[in-house]
Formats: sequence, C-alpha cells, structure tokens
Amino acid sequence: MEFKVRACRFNPETDEKPYYKEYTAEDYPGMTVLNALIKIKSELDGTLSFRRSCRSAICGSCAMKINGITKLACKTQVSHEIDKFGIINVEPLANMPVIRDLVVDQESFFDKIKEIKPYLLGQREDEAHNRFHALKEGEKISQPVYYKSEFQNLTGNEDTPNCILCECCYSECGGVVGNKNYLGPAALAKLYRYSEDPRDNDKNGSRLVGGSKPDGIWDCVHCQSCEEFCPKGISPVKAIVKLHEKSVKNSITFSAGSKHVVSIARSIGETGRLDEVKVAFESGGITGLINDLPMAFGAGLKGKIPPLRHKLIKDMEDIRLAYKELDLEDKL
Amino acid sequence: MLKHDVVIVGAGLAGLRAAVELRKKGIDAVIVSKVYPTRSHSGAAQGGVNAAFDENDSWESHFFDTVKGSDYLGDQDAIEILASEAPGNILELQSMGVVFNRNDKGGIAQRPFGGQSFPRSCYYADAVGHMMLHGLFDNVLKYKTKILYEYFVTSLVTDNGKVSGVVAYDIKNGKFEGIAAKAVLFATGGYGQVYSSNTNALINTGDGMAVSIKAGVPLMDMEFVQFHPTTLKSTGILVTEGARGEGAYLLNSLGVRFMSKYAPKAMELAPRDVVARAEQTEINEGRGIGGAILLDIRHLGKERIMEKLPQIMQLSIDFEGVNPIYEPIPIRPGAHYSMGGIKTDYNGRTVIEGYYSAGESACVSVHGANRLGGNSLLDTVVFGRRAGIDMAEYLKTADERKFDEKAVKRDEEAFEKLKKSSGKERHGLLKSELQEEMRADVGVFREENAMKKALDKIGELKERARNIGIDDKSKTFNTDIVEAFEFNNILLIAEVITRGAILRKESRGAHYRTDFPERDDSNWLKHTLATLDGSGNIKFDFSEVSITKFKPQPRTY
Ligand SMILES: Cc1cc2nc3c(=O)[nH]c(=O)nc-3n(C[C@H](O)[C@H](O)[C@H](O)COP(=O)(O)OP(=O)(O)OC[C@H]3O[C@@H](n4cnc5c(N)ncnc54)[C@H](O)[C@@H]3O)c2cc1C
Ligand code: FES
Repeated sequence: MEFKVRACRFNPETDEKPYYKEYTAEDYPGMTVLNALIKIKSELDGTLSFRRSCRSAICGSCAMKINGITKLACKTQVSHEIDKFGIINVEPLANMPVIRDLVVDQESFFDKIKEIKPYLLGQREDEAHNRFHALKEGEKISQPVYYKSEFQNLTGNEDTPNCILCECCYSECGGVVGNKNYLGPAALAKLYRYSEDPRDNDKNGSRLVGGSKPDGIWDCVHCQSCEEFCPKGISPVKAIVKLHEKSVKNSITFSAGSKHVVSIARSIGETGRLDEVKVAFESGGITGLINDLPMAFGAGLKGKIPPLRHKLIKDMEDIRLAYKELDLEDKL
Repeated sequence: MLKHDVVIVGAGLAGLRAAVELRKKGIDAVIVSKVYPTRSHSGAAQGGVNAAFDENDSWESHFFDTVKGSDYLGDQDAIEILASEAPGNILELQSMGVVFNRNDKGGIAQRPFGGQSFPRSCYYADAVGHMMLHGLFDNVLKYKTKILYEYFVTSLVTDNGKVSGVVAYDIKNGKFEGIAAKAVLFATGGYGQVYSSNTNALINTGDGMAVSIKAGVPLMDMEFVQFHPTTLKSTGILVTEGARGEGAYLLNSLGVRFMSKYAPKAMELAPRDVVARAEQTEINEGRGIGGAILLDIRHLGKERIMEKLPQIMQLSIDFEGVNPIYEPIPIRPGAHYSMGGIKTDYNGRTVIEGYYSAGESACVSVHGANRLGGNSLLDTVVFGRRAGIDMAEYLKTADERKFDEKAVKRDEEAFEKLKKSSGKERHGLLKSELQEEMRADVGVFREENAMKKALDKIGELKERARNIGIDDKSKTFNTDIVEAFEFNNILLIAEVITRGAILRKESRGAHYRTDFPERDDSNWLKHTLATLDGSGNIKFDFSEVSITKFKPQPRTY
C-alpha cells in the first residue's frame, strides 16, 4: 500500500522558516515510521535529516512529533498511524530550538541533567576493586548485602532508572513551556532515582536542596504529560510529587512552592479552613504578595478569583485521619 | 585545532570506562563520539555480564569456559585477566551506581548463559546494557568530562610512529577539526551493519577498524562474526540469550525441541555458534516456519516474564506483533558481534605508540572464534579500565609531538569532493546490496565458491561507489555525507572479513566452512592479521595464540 509522509523541513542555511514536504512511500508489514524515513532518505531525498541509532526503542535518538504526538519513530507502526490519520506528519520535538529538519538542539536538556548531581554522593568506587585484589589465595569475595531490601526496591522506584533520555517528556512538558529554565521531568526523575538510592550518602541533602531551588521540583505544573508521553512507561510526575514529600519531611522548605504546601496544610490543620491571603503571604512574603497582585487582579476581572477565606470544613475528623495517614500530624 | 592529553573516541561502555579512570586521576581526557554517549549501542545489551561470585563457582571455571567457548583461539593470558578481574570490576561498577537484580541472600542475582558451566551472568531485568551505560555516563558527568558529541572521526594522525591525534567532522556545523593528543583510544564498537538482518544499531559501521587499518594497524581474526541465534524474524532485533537462561525452548515446525539433536547436554544453552548452526540447519532442511523457527517462553508464566523479561515482551509486541505470554516468537539467526578487531595487547596497546583500543572494536583476543554471551560487556569494562590505567602511566613519560594539520585538509578535501560528486549511485541502496550479499554468502555457513562470488560483488560495489552522488550539499547536520563515509567503511570491512574467511580453510567457532567442516589445529591454530599494502590491497599475516593452561580439546556440549 502506498502512503504519504509529510515532513517538516528547515535548513537554516537556506530557509527563513520551516515548510512541509510530501513524500510517497510503499508500506510493508511491520514497517515503522523510522523505517519509512530511512527509506525516503536512502531512495528519494538524502537531504532529510533526523537522528537514529538503535531502532529498538532503547537509545532515545529518534523522538519526534508524529501526527502531533511526541513518540519514538522506531517504535511507531506506519499502519497504526495511517489507520488513524491517513497520513504521517513528522515534526521536530518542541521546547528545544531546531537545528535542522527533525533535529533539535538538546544542549539545554543535557545541561539540566548535569545540574542535579546524577551520581552517588560520598562513594568510593575503587574500594570494592581493591578489596577484591587484596584477597588471599583461595579466599572468596563477600558481596556487600547491606542494602538488600531497599535495593530490591530500587529496580522498581517508579521505574526511573529505565529512563532513556529521549526527551519525549521534555518536549511535552507544560512546565518548560512556561519557564525555559525549569529542569523538567527527565532531570527530576533522575534526581529522584539517585536520592532514593540506598547507597547514596548525600549527608546534607545537597541534591534535594539544589532541586528545591527556583526552576526545580516546585515548578512542576502537574500537567501529567510526562507520564502520558513516556515511551518507557515511567512517571516522572509521580517521582516529582515524592520529591515534594521528601523535601517537606526533611524540612527543606525554603522555596515558595514548599512554603505554599506547608502553609496550606497548616492553615487547614490549625483553623479548619483555607486562608488564601495568609497562605499567599506565608509562601511568598510581602514581595510575593505584591508580585502576585497583577495576576490576582487579572483573575478577578475574569471572575476567577477564589474566595479569600474558604468555608469552614465541617468534618475535621476525616482531615485528621488523612494527616495521620500522611505522617503530617506535626503540621496540625 | 583542539589539544588534549588523551582523546577517547567512542562513548559506549569501553570508552566511558576508560574516561572515568583517566578523569578520576585528573587527566585531561576528552570524549569524542558520533552520537550523544547514551545513544551508543552498549545501551541495547539485554542479557547480562559474567563474573564468578558464587561460593561454588570460581573464576578459573569462567576462564576455562571462555577458552573452550573461543574454540581455543582466544589468548589465554588475556582470558585469565578477563575472568579473574571480573568480580572486582562488577562490584566496582555497583559502587559507582549501577544496579543489578538481587538474589534471596541480598547478593547479585545471576542467571545461566550459553556455554557457561555455572549461572554467572549478572543482570538488571533484561536491560543490563542500559543500566551500565547510563551508570557509567553519570560518572563521566561526575568527573566533569568534556564531551564532543556528534563528531565523526575520520582519521588517526601519527608523528614518527607515535600517535598525535585524530581528525573529526563536526556534524552540527560541517567543520573539520584536528584534535591533538599524546594518547588516543578507539572504543568505536562493532560492524554489525555489514550484514542485513543484524541486531546492531545503525551507527555500528566499523569506522574505528576501517580508520585503523588505513593507518597501518592490523585487524585481527576478522573472519569471526557472531550470529546470534535469537533475533526477531522481521527486524533482526535481539531477543536476549537471557530468555533461554530463564528456560525458553527452541522449537521447529514440528514442535520439537531440536537442540537435543545438536547439543544433547547443553540443549538451548549451548554456545551461540552451535545454536545458530542448528537453527539454520533446521530451516534449510525444511523444518522452519517461513524462514524462521520458534522461541517459546509461554511456560515461564506471565509473572516471571513481566519481572525478568519485560523488554523482550515489549519488543516482541512492538516489532513482531506477537505477545510471548500467549504465543511463541518467530526468530532466526542474525549478525550480532565482531569477534575480530583492532589488534591490541591486554592493556589495550596497539602497534602504534600511544594508540589504544578497547571494547568491541578491539581484538585482545578474549573471544577467539566465538564469544560467550555476557563476556562482551565484561570485556568493555575490564579492558576499558586497563587501557585507562595504562594511558595514565604512558602519559608520564610521553614526549611532545607534532600534529600534522595537513591531515585535516586531506579529509576535508575528500568530503568536499564527495559532496560535489554528481554520480548516480545512492549509497543507501549500495549498502542494502552489500548487506544482503554478505548475509547470503559469508554468513552462518560458508563455502569457497559462494565467498568468491561475494568478493566479486564487493569489487563491483567498490567500482560503483566511485559514482556515489550526494543529495545534501549543506553544512548543517548533513547526515547524507556521514552515511556515505560509513558505507565506505563497511565496504572495506566486508572485504577484510570475506578475504579472511576464504583464507581460513577450517571450521572453528563461528567460522563454519561446509567445504572444510573440521577444526584444523595443526594448520590453523593461529590468528590472522589483515593490513593494507601500498596500493590498498588487503594482505594477511599470522600470529601465535597464547596457550597457558588449557591444551586444545575437541569442543562438544
Ligand atoms: C542487541 C545487543 C545485545 C547485547 N547483549 C549483550 C549482553 O547481554 N551481554 C554482553 O556481554 N554483551 C552483549 N552485547 C554486546 C555488547 O553490548 C557490545 O559488544 C558492547 O556494548 C560494545 O561496547 P563498546 O563500548 O565497545 O562499543 P559501543 O557501545 O558500540 O560504542 C561505540 C561508540 O563509538 C562511537 N563511534 C563509532 N564510530 C565513530 C566515529 N567514526 N567517530 C566518532 N565516534 C564513533 C559511537 O558513537 C559510540 O559511542 C549485545 C550487543 C547487542 C547488539
Ligand atoms: S532509534 Fe533508538 S530509540 Fe529509536
């Protein structure tokens, strides 16, 4: 069966803005979108540029927008797309500048990964090797077992170690749309992966403190896109929520976001109602309040301003139970 | 021109492991790779990495299994290092952050692998390469290593017999760059793309080997190409040996576990060369199903499959349309691993002073005529680490040398010439023709006349390659021109493989000649060394195999 591929093209040397070019290709059973692009490139048009390597959904090279949705081209069947859309539209990832055609500049994405200290802290990796080589004839090395049970968990901690850095989440992230400096789901999932590692020895919580700064974990807008678009079934947003919990529990509450959360909990716990003014004041201080004024004013004009003092919650017993369940009794 | 103490070309496991070793010591080492490090093909490794940990296991047994697996062509001094340093290296990786699955006692869990007399393959579900690659990469970041990614290395530069750097093409902006160094490591991986139906990434085009032989460094034992017995029928994507390690069956069209005929004791867990030949024989004799046979894991049950082989399940669904919980997977042998490569000693040194290689691009040789599953990842870390240590030592006494800028000009001109060519041949199509020819005539079973036919085809393709036209004239991310250069590399490698295979008149490990079906120790217990003569023709020398502990015996399983 013949089908059409409509590829977004852009070469900064010759084009002022992106345009679309259409190609016709022949389908075969099992053909992936990546196969189609490779065929077009080798048979019709060598100028079409895209990244690819493993062709088996493990290297993270081939992420792009296919019919508007961020996916791995090597994992996407042509027939499925044609059934649904009748055509294959391919475009580069969002949230990153385009270098050419389907190739984006990933530098900012990778820089953000570097920022979260993506490695075990306080470890001496040679120790194991030296210990092994110090063994006497006939002696066996004993493996460290101290992290037995926690370690088992690590292979399942929201599956964050399975991240392939393909940038699907980053391309769809609402947080990055709003704030170019936001670290984004992949970097924060990695932050979680290392901060949950039982071998990690981050004595003063430096990684979590770093992640709590502006542009970090509190800038997530909870749009859930990262979970929805991850080709590996990972949920960065769940990891980020767990980081929120962890930082509050460890009293890393210097950022506006965490103050906001703590203040809401306290407001409800203490008075049985949500006091928006107090919460706003406690989260951002007087400057925060002033900075928020234009937004509040605009929201008010559209009739979208919440009541400044909410209704009293009738059944505090339930709330108490929930706080207890969440280990938040000290916030009451 | 850039200048560093060490240039590491390749950011797979071998390159990254060497980089960590150097950076830890504060040495100015730069990583150069044609893709971002985590896109390297090491990340695709699924099954496991071997080390003798168990009380009832021993590294000596790992040593012997590897020698036997290599069909006695592996160098025993090097294999001894591989096996004895394995446990320490794995523990070291673990303390760097790599995660392995645990056993009941809390130690590292281990699964059986083909040709190993004990379950000694450490794993992380079925994505151990991913785990190791990302773990090591994170350590490279920890030591703030400079990384030049999407730089395509085109030449090795020497000065008076000593290495002086490399030439690289910056894919992003089309500029050539000279990178001067006193030590250079090639950890450029394998050449799976020489064959159609292979398990390798599209970037595995044997560049490092091609560049090396052109620089006068011999390639060793190139005729030994591993065909993996279980690759998905339609795409060649790998189904890990770990599946058989977990207990999978191989079935022919009659529903029979045919391995009982070929390896009655080891059955499905015989070494890869044995299983691949058994499968191909079943297919050739009419007991296949549409050119494939079946891998059955249904009896493992949904739970075990989801826990231990989740990636395999997903790959079968996504790429073969088969859910292995309910149906057997159609598979066939596919080109997988390059046993041969750049000749090195067990510290990664080559014949050129200061020039090193490690990982799949190198031939130490620890795999001889056939690599055992789980030994290659081990090879990358053991010898990547050793090369790092040796380069650090070498730098202490290495003297200054001159980097000849003319080398940069030469490559630049070659690129420009190719770019301007208005030839009618398309390199993508030539590549498919080459791959198909190599699969058909220099594959699992080999025979003189067929291989001569392959040589003729290679000759024809070399002619036609002069006529390659390039569509893309731009400087920005021009992958058209990079692919054309990669094609020339696999064409050269294909010729080395074929000539070596014609030369070696015996059957050993993965090299099986139907016209010489027996191993011939009196004439062929030796390595082949390929080099280019003055006019670019391939010629061969031989070198001795190191035999220390284990005298060659018949190899049965
Ligand atoms: C699907 C699959 C599964 C496998 N499973 C296992 C397993 O379970 N156990 C096991 O032991 N082994 C396994 N192997 C084998 C093993 O994964 C590889 O042999 C090993 O990872 C190779 O690592 P490397 O570092 O040598 O090279 P690679 O990881 O291939 O890296 C090569 C690097 O070189 C760079 N490079 C290449 N050419 C150039 C150039 N011209 N310029 C610049 N850079 C260049 C690339 O960018 C890349 O970074 C498997 C292999 C495959 C294909
Ligand atoms: S090519 Fe590797 S993820 Fe698609």
